Amino acid sequence: MDFLNAFVALLNFVIIPATAYGAQLALGALGVTLIYGILRFSNFAHGDTMAFGTMVVILCTWGLQALGMDGIGPLPTALLALPVGIAATGLLVIGTDRAVYRFYRTQKAKPVIYVIASLGVMFIMNGIVRFIIGVDDQRFGDGERFIISARTFREMTGLEEGLAFRTSQGLTIAVAVIAVVLLFWFLNRTRTGKSMRAFSDNEDLALLSGINPERVVMITWLIVAALATTAGVLYGLDKSFKPFTYFQLLLPIFAAAIVGGLGNPVGAILGGFVIAFSEVGVTYAFRKVVTYLAPGGWEPEGLLQLLSTDYKFAVSFGILLIVLLFRPTGIMKGKSV
Amino acid sequence: MSDNPYQNDRGNMDFSIVNPREGGDMQPSPGTGHAMSTASAFLIGDTMTGGYGNGPNILHDCTIAVDAGEIAVIVGPNGAGKSTAMKAVFGMLNVRQGSVRLDGEDITDLTPQARVAKGMGFVPQTNNIFASMSVEENLEMGAFIRRDDIRETMEQVYELFPILKDKRRQAAGELSGGQRQQVAVGRALMTKPKVLMLDEPTAGVSPIVMDELFDRIIEVSRTGIPILMVEQNARQALEIADKGYVLVQGRNAHTGTGKELLEDPEVRRSFLGG
Repeated sequence: MDFLNAFVALLNFVIIPATAYGAQLALGALGVTLIYGILRFSNFAHGDTMAFGTMVVILCTWGLQALGMDGIGPLPTALLALPVGIAATGLLVIGTDRAVYRFYRTQKAKPVIYVIASLGVMFIMNGIVRFIIGVDDQRFGDGERFIISARTFREMTGLEEGLAFRTSQGLTIAVAVIAVVLLFWFLNRTRTGKSMRAFSDNEDLALLSGINPERVVMITWLIVAALATTAGVLYGLDKSFKPFTYFQLLLPIFAAAIVGGLGNPVGAILGGFVIAFSEVGVTYAFRKVVTYLAPGGWEPEGLLQLLSTDYKFAVSFGILLIVLLFRPTGIMKGKSV
Repeated sequence: MSDNPYQNDRGNMDFSIVNPREGGDMQPSPGTGHAMSTASAFLIGDTMTGGYGNGPNILHDCTIAVDAGEIAVIVGPNGAGKSTAMKAVFGMLNVRQGSVRLDGEDITDLTPQARVAKGMGFVPQTNNIFASMSVEENLEMGAFIRRDDIRETMEQVYELFPILKDKRRQAAGELSGGQRQQVAVGRALMTKPKVLMLDEPTAGVSPIVMDELFDRIIEVSRTGIPILMVEQNARQALEIADKGYVLVQGRNAHTGTGKELLEDPEVRRSFLGG
């Protein structure tokens, strides 16, 4: 019985990675949920918006690295490039809105038409990103790699099990917390934020109160661009950047937004962590943890892995199905149904 | 020529007995016999004809008006076009003929938002609050077009509807039907409107709450804001009305002061149940 080592193993392989992944999903799901709340459709182009923003950040980072930068102190150079990426993505989504979605708004089109239009936008963005940066894996992380490396941890504590806490993970959690605090402050305390909530709540009455819908829509897109780029860059720093992976990220992000309750920002965050923890939890081989806990000689023979990592998307959708069966509006009450 | 036999021209050509020079044929108008008295109107929808989108006309030469400082009530049977007339005045109906004037200014071609900016407050019949937002936020959003300090107006609204002050941090959607209506009226008052339009403010509330709402509406009116409202409860509404309009099938059927309409035998028979 070795609780301490078991706990460290669990922390190292499940809790820390899942928290970082959950924070990335939460940022992505917040973007999806904002679009759903205010423009009233599920934006299928969200994953590729993230990819586009990340791509711009990567290109800027490479430029800075070519100029001889190697991280801002311990932090990655990409943070410096992030505002550029957000600005470029902001321009892209507002351009898309002008070119595509605004037409449907003036037609008072039904939301499903926007959804299908967003599918087209998704393919175009997908193409742009692959055309510019290629389909391969790209790495752009630099600066200090670990906050605590496994070896230092072992030396520090004398435990058998190591604990690695990567800079990208710490950065993800910190940035996500800051972004969420800023977003909630904006939505609940500022006049513009309140007008966005009012518009999402009751469009006609918002119009009668003198709230300009075009302005609300534009600010929403800008916030979504910032959230998507940030989420994409954090994911890319934590793992790696590959356009196809980002396209696939759409699935857990939607699962998170729906599980939490579409249109509800708190739900999006909650959903992100529910999905992340279940994905990591179900696909992690628990043998090590159980070996520490089990009495001597009782070590399990198998890996104690419920599903292979190839099936991780099945987990998000399993959770999604269960939640929708018992709570159709999501864990927090969303605006769907 | 008319069918009037006295005006038949037959045999009229014998100039030895009739003078060929025509006499005057101008006829004085008999008038409509029911004065609309709209000369002093602060807000008037004047002989409006129109319908939704490209659909058929629902209103036919319908006139409704409210004088400064008064309460005007639109009543009538179901489907008479009461709410439609209200929407026409507020710019949410395709008015094909007629005009809408606010304080003498023609606003027929303005959007509803522009009319709000001109000083019209409108409380729709349904979905008239931001249900997920707190009462206070509802009031803040009502004053969105204002850039000055809104606290004083908010205090006035709280004075008018004291219950809202107690519940100001609560989500408006969690309130009772009568309280929601108070939020809705309060929201519309936040722009400091020059005229307030209420579309069936007492729909779906209990009779006791209805009485209270009517009292509140009279209080709002006492602050000097003219009120134009549509009401299902014709008798009670006409009792507090300075002027009443009875609409039938999109046309003005009867017009008069509330008291006149309440006493009018035909109005009593057809709308007030004897």
